[in-house]
Amino acid sequence: MPIPMSQLIKTIESEPNYFLVIHPLDDIPEQKIDSDHLPPMEMTQGVRWSLISLRVYLIFMIALFLYHVIDLASQMLTKK
Amino acid sequence: MDRTGENLVTDRLQIPPPGIKVRSPWLRNILTFFVVFGPGLIVMEADNDAGAVSTYTQAGGQYGLHLLWLMLLLLPVCYFIQEMVVRLGIATGKGHAAMIYQRFGKWWGRFSLFDLLLVNFLTLVTEFAAISLATQQMGINPGYSVPIAAVLLVIHVTSGSYKRWERITCILCLLDITWFVMAFFSHPSTSSVLRHTLIPSVPPGGITTNFVFVVIAIIGTTIAPWQLFFQQSCVADKRLRFADLKWARLDTFLGACFTVTVAGAMIIVGNVSHQHGLTYEDPAKMANAILPFTNGFVRNAILLMFCNAAVLGTTAISLSSAWAWSETRGWKHSLNLSFKDAPGFYCIYAICTLLAASIVLIPGVPLQLIILGVQVLAGIILPSAIIFLQLLLNDHKLLGDRWVNRRWNNVVNWTIIIVLFALSLVLAVQVMAPSLFPTES
Repeated sequence: MPIPMSQLIKTIESEPNYFLVIHPLDDIPEQKIDSDHLPPMEMTQGVRWSLISLRVYLIFMIALFLYHVIDLASQMLTKK
Repeated sequence: MDRTGENLVTDRLQIPPPGIKVRSPWLRNILTFFVVFGPGLIVMEADNDAGAVSTYTQAGGQYGLHLLWLMLLLLPVCYFIQEMVVRLGIATGKGHAAMIYQRFGKWWGRFSLFDLLLVNFLTLVTEFAAISLATQQMGINPGYSVPIAAVLLVIHVTSGSYKRWERITCILCLLDITWFVMAFFSHPSTSSVLRHTLIPSVPPGGITTNFVFVVIAIIGTTIAPWQLFFQQSCVADKRLRFADLKWARLDTFLGACFTVTVAGAMIIVGNVSHQHGLTYEDPAKMANAILPFTNGFVRNAILLMFCNAAVLGTTAISLSSAWAWSETRGWKHSLNLSFKDAPGFYCIYAICTLLAASIVLIPGVPLQLIILGVQVLAGIILPSAIIFLQLLLNDHKLLGDRWVNRRWNNVVNWTIIIVLFALSLVLAVQVMAPSLFPTES
């Protein structure tokens, strides 16, 4: 609930040298960097192709990983 | 945030913020740290999840104290990576998935989200696998313990209060101090611990296939992709302010120190089985195997801490999935909202948790293999996740000069990315041509 200005100034004048520690969730929301109106990041051809290569690499690695895990699992089952 | 009396005039005219009045600048700093404290500790300690307990104790069990130096090396790596997401979260007030979608577009965003959800889900399976294994050793039927744990974890998050969730989760994190007590009862040689922590060494068998696998698994568990998404969303949900950055950095740094030392303690506990030539499949069985060489406290504490690690991991990982998915869908996503106000967000959390729990109850699933394998998968995906983070932190249009990475940040981060890539390549070669690596005798 808003405090009247006269009462607020009176309060502050009576305690001029204090610090108020406020939990972030109880504080007034802060204006953050506005990213909503920015267009997607401009990427050079080099960066774009690096990211595509990275994606191909990851797909390959995930497939390799799955092969390795399935291979180990079948070895474990054979031992049992 | 601290304010002098003058600054309060304009703010109080809008909404009077509740707070604590203090006169001493020291007290103000301490209190401010405590109100900011939380996300850094939780993200780091939740990373010591069930998979991590398994990986670290296996590392200790197989190689003794020889991998302790790796933990010291991973401390700055953990901090530098997480510091970037803290900065990004405070500057934009948005989660990591939302930023990737906004700045790279939907195509890249979907790939990134798919990677995250895949690793997260498999990791969740490992968390419930741990609860199943540990409670079984305690004589409790997993058919009861796993579903009960899953339901309690859903209730823990859906209380509609961020502060309550954070307090409870911080207490669970601090319970991990028990690992230091267990390490003490394991009677390690202090000089050996110090020597292996400060001086890198390779075990007597040399660099073998299994050694590389364990090293990658340790890296994969110490720095996981979900951490990037979790901490940024957590910082945004807690609405940390620009002035909170230094305290959020301290929170992250202390969290990193705590998690790395707890991980070291786990290696020391695992070392007991190495010293006595014991073999076991998982930490729950290790707890029983080392009983003759320690005491009942260590046995029970391992089982309970294994469950605690799984609980921490589940809440943080499911939340990172729920936040990421909701951010990209434009759904309401905050722990401060009730289930009624953010049904999509809480449903994603509940679905992830309950589905993972149900998979664990399928008989004959090779749980220990899944646990170690997931750490390796996380290690493979991590470099690509960090590359997106690195590009975002160099985005001048988004962040301006104040928040972008400095030159030294970039040097450190690119070094980390190159090392992680090199390790994942070694793994690829190891899988395709295992004969190139010597096997253990």
